[in-house]
Amino acid sequence: MTLDDKHAPKPDPDVIAAAETAAVDEDDIDDSKYVSGLPGLLGVIDVGIARIEAVLLAIGVLLMALNTMANVVGRYVFGESLFFSEELNRALIILITFAGISYAARHGRHIRMSAFFDAMPFRMRKMMMIVIAVVTSAAMFLLTWYSVDYLLSQASRGRLLPALQIPQWWIIVWAPLGFFLTGLQYGLTAIKNLIDKDIWLSTSTLEGYDDSAEEEV
Amino acid sequence: DTWRYAFEEAMEEVQGKFAQKFKEEVEANSDHEIQLFPFGTLGESADIMEQAQSGILQFVDQSPGFTGALIPEAQVFFVPYLLPEDQDTLVEFFRTSKAINELFPPLYAEQGLELLTMFPEGEVMMTTTNEVTSPEDLNEVKFRVMTNPLLVGSYQAFGATPTPLPWGEVYGALQTGIIQGQENPAFFIESTKMYEVTDYITRAGHNNFTTAVMANKEFFDGLSDEDKEVVQNAIDAAFDYIVDYQDGLTETSLEKIMEAKPSMTITTLTEEQRAPFKATAEEVEAEYLEIGGDQAQEILDQMKADLEAAAGGSEG
Amino acid sequence: MTWMIFGTMIVLLMLGFPMMIPLIAGSLIGFVGLFGGFGQLDTMVQQILGGIRPASLIAVPMFIFAADIMTRGQSATRLIDLVMSFVGHFKGGLAIATAGACTMFGAVSGSTQATVVAVGGPLRPRMLKAGYNDSFILALIVNSSDIAFLIPPSIGMIIYGVVSGTSISELFIAGIGPGLLILVMFSIYSYFYALRNNVPTLPKSTWAERRQAVLRALWPLGFPAIIIGGIYGGIFSPTEAAAACVLYALFLEMVIFREMGLKQLYSTAKSTGLITAVVFILVGAGAAFSYVISFAQIPQHILGSIGIDEMGQYGVLFTISIAFFVGCMFVDPIVVILIFVPIFAPVVQSVGLDPVLVGTIITLQVAIGSATPPFGCDIFTAIAVFKRPYVEVVKGTPPFIIMLLTTAVLLIFFPQIALFLRDLAFNK
Ligand code: NA
Ligand code: NA
Repeated sequence: MTLDDKHAPKPDPDVIAAAETAAVDEDDIDDSKYVSGLPGLLGVIDVGIARIEAVLLAIGVLLMALNTMANVVGRYVFGESLFFSEELNRALIILITFAGISYAARHGRHIRMSAFFDAMPFRMRKMMMIVIAVVTSAAMFLLTWYSVDYLLSQASRGRLLPALQIPQWWIIVWAPLGFFLTGLQYGLTAIKNLIDKDIWLSTSTLEGYDDSAEEEV
Repeated sequence: DTWRYAFEEAMEEVQGKFAQKFKEEVEANSDHEIQLFPFGTLGESADIMEQAQSGILQFVDQSPGFTGALIPEAQVFFVPYLLPEDQDTLVEFFRTSKAINELFPPLYAEQGLELLTMFPEGEVMMTTTNEVTSPEDLNEVKFRVMTNPLLVGSYQAFGATPTPLPWGEVYGALQTGIIQGQENPAFFIESTKMYEVTDYITRAGHNNFTTAVMANKEFFDGLSDEDKEVVQNAIDAAFDYIVDYQDGLTETSLEKIMEAKPSMTITTLTEEQRAPFKATAEEVEAEYLEIGGDQAQEILDQMKADLEAAAGGSEG
Repeated sequence: MTWMIFGTMIVLLMLGFPMMIPLIAGSLIGFVGLFGGFGQLDTMVQQILGGIRPASLIAVPMFIFAADIMTRGQSATRLIDLVMSFVGHFKGGLAIATAGACTMFGAVSGSTQATVVAVGGPLRPRMLKAGYNDSFILALIVNSSDIAFLIPPSIGMIIYGVVSGTSISELFIAGIGPGLLILVMFSIYSYFYALRNNVPTLPKSTWAERRQAVLRALWPLGFPAIIIGGIYGGIFSPTEAAAACVLYALFLEMVIFREMGLKQLYSTAKSTGLITAVVFILVGAGAAFSYVISFAQIPQHILGSIGIDEMGQYGVLFTISIAFFVGCMFVDPIVVILIFVPIFAPVVQSVGLDPVLVGTIITLQVAIGSATPPFGCDIFTAIAVFKRPYVEVVKGTPPFIIMLLTTAVLLIFFPQIALFLRDLAFNK
């Protein structure tokens, strides 16, 4: 048994409550309460983009389930496989991943190992958070640039998807878009940390792993 | 220099053997070193092709079936009963074909690739859970094929239900019965253990799996004449080697399969049994002409002429 | 360059950067170093996209989605109530049932990630309520998922079989013995854990109560029926079975139990998409990093310098175990198999080892490695799905990893654990 186990024989009621309602309250991000980090018209646009990301995530997942099952139905009921099914799923998974990374950046949901970070004093944490946001933002913009590069070379090669017979590059346009919006979110997070007294994981999320409580602040 | 060469199969399969011979020849006759990257180590087939186009890889082996998305004409190799079954004629065809040596290289060049050679990997056989002697036997059979319109068309014409499945799921799908058949050359059926989950191997003689070796064009054009010669000689030596290596490979592979699973039934269809399968070729040929790009007709006609010449050549 | 890459990655991880950054930085250093500049970074993008492309990965969001719907509604509760009515009065019963569920789920799934999600999602809240410590629960779930990799079908074994030319049927059968051995070890550990920590047991259910529980669980029992019946009946591939579970879960919760409306459906789908994205960007970045390792032939350089040709059977097996264990801590398991197996193949043959035994050990090591810090993919799946901090997820793992490594050592000295069933089935 580990030391930890002896010290914690009783379940933490908060953890239980969180796990039980995992899905219902805490986990669900209410998009109508999302506040953009951008001022004025830009903020309105940003909130709009957040909405679109959320809708794309949900629709992508639902379509993936339907598409996969449609293939089964086609095979057994109509004796005909849907040849585009696999390609459509590939397109959807790229869409979900890249709509999701900027949505996750908005809400401070990207996975990180925060143990050492959490142990630092406030000032260091704040400085570190700015460094993290700036570096992450830079990396995302770099990948935006090169995914545009990749996209263009795909477009110029004219490779078609064998079953859908559409250009391959159509399904990867989400990559540069997702990287760009993610880079933007981390950039805004850096600025927010510079001008505000608190430590922000994203423009709408205060530090602390659970973002739910703070989100409405 | 260090040159990098990626291919679509494992090290000990046909493409890997070819690559190893190529490496051996180049390294024996020059100061260049060749690093080999088998299947999956640098990504999927489409990925290594792109890397060769962008010059990260100097050499790549990709089968025309996969190249079809890039060079539609290359799908001609999926027209059933086009290539001859006789091994000597086949080899003679690959050596002398005008289509391969003159018509295809400009098409590859447009994609930034120098076509170095094409070679056959072996007769494609069906492995199924039920016996197949006629198209009727394929009725209702869910048959796994690569996602290629002509292959799908072929098996539809044969009467089967072509079913796309990622390669990683084929073994399991045969085991549980989602699909009842798949096709591949004998060595691949042996090495990927497809015989463990099927009971019949049928030789309908409908195709021979073809593959192509290419170099990045910019890289190749930039080589000194001396280096170009080293590469070309190594390709020629590897081609001769792979022809020898394949002599009997099909039989050895089938023997290994029978040894591992004595209950396996291997059937070579008679000319009579093949007739109804052959009758469907025309349909697929028409489809090829439709989707095979601008030069489809020209390539098909030239290939037929080349094949006739090769048949004459290897007889005489 | 090798040490600079690994060093940078670990430092960035420790400093609290989002986990995609260490992986992206590792790949960036690699690409810039290998190609002398930024000129080939489009290939890095290609690899990130290629990493999230494999069709078998689709099962992961589908199981996340199905498990989420089940947990929000009635299905999960009713199924677990059923299990509890039979095992609730045993010390550690629920923990053992969880490990058992992973084993059973392993019989239909070849993926450890899907197992973490499908079994862990519904069971974790109940275990917390029953009084288990969260880090024990997380470690149990993450590590029990390894069993799924050993019990057939297994993606790892298929890839190993193809690359090494070993019979996949024999590998499948050889995986059962070690898989069950791990289940037994985890069960014993769970029993003593529950004893030591005074995890309370439930009063023993009467048969009438059990009957009641069965009746309440009739609809949700459709899930195991769909998964097991569908796959072994030849109707679904594992990925399709996952999608079928989604539709069945929606049918139950929206039509039968009326627990879920369109609004919750939307929220659930969105949350599934978010978790998927957070995990898959890491899978993609990991693929780009694997490419660097593969392209630079780093494993070949490291292994070439240790003189494996001089070792005997045991030496070779230990070297293989360590190489795969370490490799999978950083790189995608499938890629590790693709790169390492050909390197080791000649020496495995020359010392006369049974390739089925080697394959079983490799599969076990790969599974362990995927649940091991710093970059094991099961860990970040658990972080994303359960929304617990990294440290919380890995804290409880050491005892489990020790048990798993013990299994690996036992396999080396007592190959019959794996080969007994194989020999029986194939008359060897
Ligand atoms: Na499994
Ligand atoms: Na695992």
